Amino acid sequence: MRIITLNRQIKKRFIFLFIIFFCFCFSIFLISYTLKDQIAYFVSPTELQKMDLDSNRYLRVGGLVKPKTLKFLNDKWNFEIEDEDGGSIKVEFSKSLPGLVEEDKGIIVEGYMGKNSIFLAEIVLAKHDENYMPQSAIDKMKDEGIWRGD
Amino acid sequence: MFAITPHMMSNFFEKISKFIFLLSIILFVIAGVLIIFLENDYYQGISFKIMFIHVPAAWLSLLIFFSMGISSIIGLVFKSPTSFTISRSLSPIGLIMSVVVLITGSIWGNLTWGTYWVWDARLTSMLILSFIYLGHLFLLYSFEHFQKADFAASILAIIGMVNLPIVKFSVDWWTTLHQGSSVFKIGGPSMTTDYLITLMISFFAILLLSFYWFTNLFYIIIENRRIERAKLLND
Repeated sequence: MRIITLNRQIKKRFIFLFIIFFCFCFSIFLISYTLKDQIAYFVSPTELQKMDLDSNRYLRVGGLVKPKTLKFLNDKWNFEIEDEDGGSIKVEFSKSLPGLVEEDKGIIVEGYMGKNSIFLAEIVLAKHDENYMPQSAIDKMKDEGIWRGD
Repeated sequence: MFAITPHMMSNFFEKISKFIFLLSIILFVIAGVLIIFLENDYYQGISFKIMFIHVPAAWLSLLIFFSMGISSIIGLVFKSPTSFTISRSLSPIGLIMSVVVLITGSIWGNLTWGTYWVWDARLTSMLILSFIYLGHLFLLYSFEHFQKADFAASILAIIGMVNLPIVKFSVDWWTTLHQGSSVFKIGGPSMTTDYLITLMISFFAILLLSFYWFTNLFYIIIENRRIERAKLLND
């Protein structure tokens, strides 16, 4: 077999393209690294408690709805959002919730931090995770005792 | 590969395209039957079944852009007309796929999240990808000579490849409303086997349909050039 040798021009073009591509990658990396906090769609309750808040800052908080806190009181939905690090935050919402909002499931609320550290939500979004399975599979796992959800 | 002329490739595609079309139709029927009889998700109900279009289209829009980028690099480095033509005929298919992703995704989002659109990292980077596809297509048809168009569009395709890892890993790098990836993740797929098999079958169905479309576009582009050349010779 004949050994294919890259001639000089082909090599030059390849190096040129590689430099263009590398520079572009690096600039995009720098931009996204600097904007890390802005690109994040929501903060967790723990992060929220660490932040020093200006009173009227519009922000998004996400986490899981704490079990046994989702209640409808005085024409308002009341619930708590918790995260894995143990932080939690009380939320009030006066419109109707999306259908998939349930206890111990993901949620994102958008709004302002009110007085008495109650978050006044204006928009509520349900966040579902990447696990898909039929009810029968869950029942089977429950029978075998390996179901960790709920 | 660099000795393969566009004409050889187009003749080859003409022969296999019917077979590919037949295979993709069979896979579509199988996938459709499986999707209808599949059990609903325990949490999202029936609305999760839109995944079987959304996810294959998303994979394909990334895969097609990657192939476009690679063939553009080969085309620019080795001055190969075949790879430029491959890139040219892949471009509209990728655009359609990315639009399908955005449409099915916003329907799914409205059913589960409660909103059609949010500006989180995954959705925004996917929108940018579809804009790059659109720009690539515009560049291809905005020059008088197709060689110049190929050159300009290839540069865009190579630079646009930067966006691919951002689309893919946006859900891992930043917090997003969009859920993480279910299939290609550490610790194996997080869905049951029957869902996974259905997903794979519908992916291959859409992949083969796109490939059939790609072979046809390739053939049409080459035939048009042949006709134009014949016209020039006659004048």
